Amino acid sequence: MEEKTWVRMVTAQTPTNIAVIKYWGKRDETLILPVNDSISVTLDPAHLCTTTTVAVSPGFDQDRMWLNGKEISLSGGRYQNCLREIRARACDVQDEEKGIKIAKKDWEKMHVHVASYNNFPTAAGLASSAAGFACLVFALAKLMNAKEDNSELSAIARQGSGSACRSLFGGFVKWNMGKAEDGSDSLAVQLVDEKHWDELVIIIAVVSSRQKETSSTTGMRDSVETSLLLEHRAKEVVPKRTKQMEEAIKNRDFGSFAQLACADSNQFHAVCLDTCPPIFYMNDTSHRQVKIISCVEKWNRSEETPQVCLTPHSRSLT
Amino acid sequence: MAEKTWVRMVTAQTPTNIAVIKYWGKRDETLILPVNDSISVTLDPAHLCTITTVAVSPSFDQDRMWLNGKEISLSGGRYQNCLREIRARACEVEDKEKGIKIAKNDWEKLHVRVASYNNFPTAAGLASSAAGFACLVFALAKLMKAKEDNSELSAIARQGSGSACRSLFGGFVKWIMGKAEDGSDSLAVQLVDEKHWDELVIIIAVVSSRQKETSSTTGMRDSVETSLLLQHRAKEVVPKRIKQMEEAIKNRDFGSFAQLTCADSNQFHAVCLDTCPPIFYMNDTSHRQVKIISCVEKWNCSEGTPQVAYTFDAGPNAVLIAHNRKAATQLIQKLLFCFPPSSDADLNCYVIGDKSILKDAGIEDIKDVEALPPPPEIKDAQRSKGDVSYFICTKPGRGPDLLSDESLALLHPETGLPK
Repeated sequence: MEEKTWVRMVTAQTPTNIAVIKYWGKRDETLILPVNDSISVTLDPAHLCTTTTVAVSPGFDQDRMWLNGKEISLSGGRYQNCLREIRARACDVQDEEKGIKIAKKDWEKMHVHVASYNNFPTAAGLASSAAGFACLVFALAKLMNAKEDNSELSAIARQGSGSACRSLFGGFVKWNMGKAEDGSDSLAVQLVDEKHWDELVIIIAVVSSRQKETSSTTGMRDSVETSLLLEHRAKEVVPKRTKQMEEAIKNRDFGSFAQLACADSNQFHAVCLDTCPPIFYMNDTSHRQVKIISCVEKWNRSEETPQVCLTPHSRSLT
Repeated sequence: MAEKTWVRMVTAQTPTNIAVIKYWGKRDETLILPVNDSISVTLDPAHLCTITTVAVSPSFDQDRMWLNGKEISLSGGRYQNCLREIRARACEVEDKEKGIKIAKNDWEKLHVRVASYNNFPTAAGLASSAAGFACLVFALAKLMKAKEDNSELSAIARQGSGSACRSLFGGFVKWIMGKAEDGSDSLAVQLVDEKHWDELVIIIAVVSSRQKETSSTTGMRDSVETSLLLQHRAKEVVPKRIKQMEEAIKNRDFGSFAQLTCADSNQFHAVCLDTCPPIFYMNDTSHRQVKIISCVEKWNCSEGTPQVAYTFDAGPNAVLIAHNRKAATQLIQKLLFCFPPSSDADLNCYVIGDKSILKDAGIEDIKDVEALPPPPEIKDAQRSKGDVSYFICTKPGRGPDLLSDESLALLHPETGLPK
């Protein structure tokens, strides 16, 4: 019995982001709830982005995904959480042209195909999972006609990868840590859009790392369990810095912005060093990171007011 | 009018020390009062020490000092503080044999000459100022017959260099931060003597640093002023660690000792990184420090209970404390695999101090070093030839002592000038 089958497809593009006030440490591993707020700057997707096509069809017999051309498994908890959460918010879809009619209750029986592609090398460690999960969630929401706004969608993307929630907006974004046990209030909000401070220029020095680094997930868990400085950072330092950073961004105060971004980057790495066993992200063979920090610190000092700030994160240098 | 002049001289030997709970940050820059307690292990002066000869004579017309043969200025605040504090405690001295009689109030009019010598390279950054000031103060106290005990003397040495106060005792020593504004209660006490835990073996990887590092004085001041983590460390973390460390030392509990020592070393460096601008002491080009930490962490983990503790100061040298001789022997094998001497090096000069450790490790010449197997806990272990200048093998040691052998004196008994 041949049924005329259809395919409904949506393609989305999502940016990646770099934290200037860092996320490092979870209070809930499953829901991915952080121990402090974080603030990021979204990078121009024209240069760095994830493009994801999601498709649904009665002809698909299982959920499948291809990442940069290679099929990957969707069985992991993070993917399952995102798929489940979006499916629960799926609504009626009607496309008269294509003769597609999907009722709300149909969605749970249908399977999706996902293809995702980063226009930057995945090995570069440029927060590809942040852009990736944000794009997956955003694209699926459009496919399934979910009514949630980007903040609500960010709470779902967050369950795929913490920093993914910040990629649901442009400009400068804040991930509110939230208080609720179920994480419903742990989501991203836009502080200012990308035009607010568009004279900023961001240069990223990308390095293909030969050594296998500690994964963020493992690393931050070890830090939460063993660093005696992390809690103080989360409870006392970050709340103040978050307020100051919001002010600096609002007022386009580069001096304060630079001082806060550099200080928070260094403190993040300090907490990594205070972990047992210690984590060394800024210890690449060439000393690149230290040279760059040294050069920038000296230049800023010589100019009296900061010209540049930097924020190495747990992979390459930004 | 020629007066028969005399020279009274005293020679002392003082050890250096390595902190296992670190001092980093002052609450008073002039008096050198710290923001937290610290605990150290004194190293055996037979291997690392400062020898200082102090002399006094009516014929000396100014205070002078020679360090490792070179004359240095005594005009700085730290030297002046130590000299003033000891002079204020000088007492009567009578030496009938030599016909010397010094009344208490004569001392302020007399000048001293000091010659000091470290038996380890000063550039090695092995806390030479700690040993140096401790020796200066101890020797002057003996010269001037001050009645103070070593704890009281440590409060004076402290004003020369903070960590110097801990070199007034052997074994394990605690520098109590104190509460008094005048620093009179900021001094060192002995926790246990050098025999209490004498199976410990201490191996130091000495590196000649090519780069100029941030001085401790500047660095810790920047940390106090800019690190938002330092206060928390000083107020909350260190007090607990001090108690736990004292227990570990008392009970010879190496597992706890190692965990605390490594954690405190890492936290000290974390605070340095949290400083503005950030300080990188553990960032040498060769990655030596990270390799050593990684090797030790993995080895300790694979053995189930720690075998070795590591600790790094404000410089490139690595201090490794092994649980016992057996662990030390395995450690030196791993270290020599990872950091073999350069091809033209003499093995006899490459591992100094207690050289018998090499024999225990089955190493008699360079061939044996080349034949060493890679440490199983490191994947793709590399050999970084010439990365370490030399190793010192030592153990917990005794406190300051007078040297009665005149041939060891650094000043000439008649002229009071360096020999």
